[in-house]
Amino acid sequence: MILWRAGMRNVLRHPWLTVLAVLGVALGVAVVTAVDHANEAAQRAFRLAAETVAGRATHQVVGGPTGLAEDIYRRMRVELRVRGSAPVVSGHLQLAGRTFQLIGIDPFAEPPLRSFSSRFADRGLLTTLMTRPGTVLMLPESAAELRLERGATYPADSAGVRRQLALAGFLEPPDQVSRVALASVLVCDIATAQELLGMVGRLSRIDLILPDGAEGGRVLREVRAILPPGADIVPAGARAGALDQMTRAFRLNLKALSLLALVVGMFLIYNTMTFSVVRRRRLIGMLRALGVSRREVFAMICAEALLIGVAGTVAGLVAGALLGSELTRLVTRTINDLYFVMEVRRVPLLPGALWKGALLGVAATLAATMPAALEATGAPPRAVLSRSQVETRRRRLLPLATCGGFVLIAAGCGLFFTERGGIVGGFLGLFAVIVGYTLLVPAAVMLLSALLRPLLETVLGSLGRMAARGVVVSLSRTGVATAALVVAVSAGIGVGIMVGGFRLTVQNWLANWLQADVYVTSADRGGGRYRPPLDPALVRRLSVLEGEALVTLSRRVRIEGAAGGTELFSLQVPERTFLRYPFKEGDPARAWSTFRSGAAVLVSEPYSYRHHLHPGDSVTLRTSRGERRFPVAGVIYDYGSDTGIVIMSRAGYLANFADESVDGMSFTARPGLDLARLLELVRARVGGEQVTVVSNAQLRQATVEVFDRTFAITGVLRMLTMLVAFVGILSALMAMQVERARELAVLRAIGLTPGQVWGVVCGETVLIGLIAGLLSLPLGIAEALVLIYVINLRSFGWTMQLAITPAQLGQALLLSVTAAFLAGIYPSLRIARTSPALALKEED
Amino acid sequence: MAEPIVELRGVGKSFHEGDRERVVFRDASLSIEPGAWVFLFGRSGSGKSTLLNLVSGIDLPDRGEVRVDGSDLSRLSERERTLFRRNHIGFVFQFYNLIPTLTVEENVLLPLELSGTLTPAGRRRAAELLDAVGLADRGRAFPDRLSGGEQQRVAVARALVHAPKLVLADEPTGNLDAQTGRQVLDLFQRLLRPAGTTLVLVTHSGEVASLADRVLSIKDGVLVDAAGVPGAGA
Repeated sequence: MILWRAGMRNVLRHPWLTVLAVLGVALGVAVVTAVDHANEAAQRAFRLAAETVAGRATHQVVGGPTGLAEDIYRRMRVELRVRGSAPVVSGHLQLAGRTFQLIGIDPFAEPPLRSFSSRFADRGLLTTLMTRPGTVLMLPESAAELRLERGATYPADSAGVRRQLALAGFLEPPDQVSRVALASVLVCDIATAQELLGMVGRLSRIDLILPDGAEGGRVLREVRAILPPGADIVPAGARAGALDQMTRAFRLNLKALSLLALVVGMFLIYNTMTFSVVRRRRLIGMLRALGVSRREVFAMICAEALLIGVAGTVAGLVAGALLGSELTRLVTRTINDLYFVMEVRRVPLLPGALWKGALLGVAATLAATMPAALEATGAPPRAVLSRSQVETRRRRLLPLATCGGFVLIAAGCGLFFTERGGIVGGFLGLFAVIVGYTLLVPAAVMLLSALLRPLLETVLGSLGRMAARGVVVSLSRTGVATAALVVAVSAGIGVGIMVGGFRLTVQNWLANWLQADVYVTSADRGGGRYRPPLDPALVRRLSVLEGEALVTLSRRVRIEGAAGGTELFSLQVPERTFLRYPFKEGDPARAWSTFRSGAAVLVSEPYSYRHHLHPGDSVTLRTSRGERRFPVAGVIYDYGSDTGIVIMSRAGYLANFADESVDGMSFTARPGLDLARLLELVRARVGGEQVTVVSNAQLRQATVEVFDRTFAITGVLRMLTMLVAFVGILSALMAMQVERARELAVLRAIGLTPGQVWGVVCGETVLIGLIAGLLSLPLGIAEALVLIYVINLRSFGWTMQLAITPAQLGQALLLSVTAAFLAGIYPSLRIARTSPALALKEED
Repeated sequence: MAEPIVELRGVGKSFHEGDRERVVFRDASLSIEPGAWVFLFGRSGSGKSTLLNLVSGIDLPDRGEVRVDGSDLSRLSERERTLFRRNHIGFVFQFYNLIPTLTVEENVLLPLELSGTLTPAGRRRAAELLDAVGLADRGRAFPDRLSGGEQQRVAVARALVHAPKLVLADEPTGNLDAQTGRQVLDLFQRLLRPAGTTLVLVTHSGEVASLADRVLSIKDGVLVDAAGVPGAGA
């Protein structure tokens, strides 16, 4: 125990270094836990909601874009006597500023299916729900949160129409899980839902519970026999699985970014522990001379690390819980913008994320400590092992590290060219390149210090020369600090270039894609990417503008199928506009005639990548006349959806989907009509309807805003990684300066002023910052290339432009120097203030 | 005649300094009887400390044999040599080498803990030793609060607490003024002689030679009896 006490007191004697190490672990763990939590929370919320709403259904009958005819349900119940079946009408509406999923059910068909409806014991409530139109049920918690009262009436918006909803009563879910899932659900009678969502006579789907085995198969065949060609039966889990799959790449990307923060954190721990060992080499030598075995020294160092690791992990988990809720909001927002609408509220920190964070924090700390602990164990039991000997030993390892670095980089690059590696292979390769590059850093530090020495000498005189030499002399310290900074800054550059390139690509694409002057869509954004149709009367009123402008009609729908959904975008487009579409494969002029007639379709780049489709292949879609194959006439660039879309002419859509509705219109002014006048004409015809009328510029701006919002989370993670690196460099520099206290005190004793000592120390830190900045440029650019051409391509199938601006690189350099300079201020002030006598009194 | 407690046979040891090889011992042999006090004189860098490192098993000879209390150290593993050192040898260094993060008392108790003998009897012995070195009231102080002489007295107490057969002292008075140095040697006299503990002491100072049973020096890599050392009584 006495031996342990010596170790523990050592930790407590340098509280700042200990705090920084704990902070480094904590930040790394916090970021990983928070991202994990956010991803998990979003995924779980979605799955729960899907499961609670789908209930125990084994299958679902789904229709085309307009749903199913009510009659199918009647025939199933009456003719086929399928008891385990329940009709559902669902959609989105806004109530009291929040988006809710409205689920219309038949209370009498429900009980075997859904847990939330199992308590319809209150017959009075049932009667109200079924007999009074516009009545809904919700969770008492949600009502309390929005200050809604039972019995009162509130306005709700759906499909651009405002209606009054009465809160008839409360849902009483049987368990906590359903309670979480139903936070944003309104339940009403099927007739109310049909009316509110404009689906009179139609159903969204029919849920079925089919028995296992032959009996189930028989019912399945019977039901299938009465379905019209546009409808199909799909297993209930398939849809949830497909949506899960949809966001997988997005979540994986976030996870990789969070791991990067942990890697930087590991550098920090490694640095702290190595320093702790090197600083105590004499003490360890003494202990060894007194008979302390290697194993005991090893255990002592590991115990210290464990203490730091556990403290950091606990702090990190607490911070991760706080950060997690904020990240959950960002992740949810992105998922809402890109994939589907969902609400995630008050999800307690998930045990999975906690355990993972805890394990990772402690394991990373111990892994980062290993080299230091091994070094301590290897130290001969002589009382004095000089600093120069340590440096010499390290320097001897330099060629080995450099060679190892090149080998790792080569291995990483190999993974980039192996298509079969997929996204995970891409990330592994990226990490190999990053780690390999850090192994090259110490050698590069030596080289660059030598190159920059004349510059420092010119600016700071002999003090500058001392600073430059100081960086090289304590390479075992400076090398690691620089490497940590390089990793963080390069991540900033890489992600920055990737996002910048992506943004530019999207802007260019929008310029080609959005060619009309004015766009009209329904104002409702409750359905995520899908909007409710525009009022047919309004479409007719606006179509009259044909004389003044080129008018196009469009409709975006989701065709459900066993393997998930397909996003189908149909539009009536003039030839001139079509020919300017951003084609990746195929010839616009040749594609035009088959596209216009509806015989062939276009697919977007991600769709082509995911389904391995090229011009000449064909896409199978379930139309109102059954499954049909459509040849692919071309592949176009599209950055609106990472799952990809199929584009069909309006003529083809009308012929195949029995849906005449329109959810978007665009107008291109004919020569002689200016934009302001066109806007005026459109607005005049729109009148008081709840629709959005925007100009081309506004729409482009709104799209770019969505883009920026999507990448907000990337920005947050980037900042956190920089923060970890900053703490890292601060702790490395402090450690270095504490270690050099005696040397600097000698300088003070022989006549250097505090200001001059400050100059030497700051010169050193700025040099480290400059070197790290310079070294991070090539790595950052390489990371951007990998992110663009390997990771994003493999994740989403997008081709992006590469745009590297000198400003981006300059910024990174400035950031690096500033971070290093700031990190150097405190230690240098501390050292400069130290009395030379005091520092000299301590033994070396 | 009793078995020697320390025995060197044909020991060779050299170090690499850059490209050069510096030979410390060419063919050194030595035999020390139990309870004997052997003082080793020599210039700086002549290999005095290397001899202590060899005898304590911290370092191994390039060739030849080092036997301590009957054990051939070259045949022991690193771990066995460490355990041997912790159980049988007490060390006193020129720079005291107290563990700065442990109190005076804890420093003295450390060897007992390492050898697994931290018993009430062991604690009593530590207290007696601290009393004997005149620091009974400083047990809770940390080493940096003590003067050089006091620190060295703690180091002596630490070296003796586990009753080693052999004490190795590397210039124990080298960092102290003459009077304080004499106090430390008095301590050795009072505590080691009655217990019959063997002492190998490395020193520059000829004045202390009168206390030795035998005085050695290193010449051209060989250990020789140095009768000519001023003040040597052997």
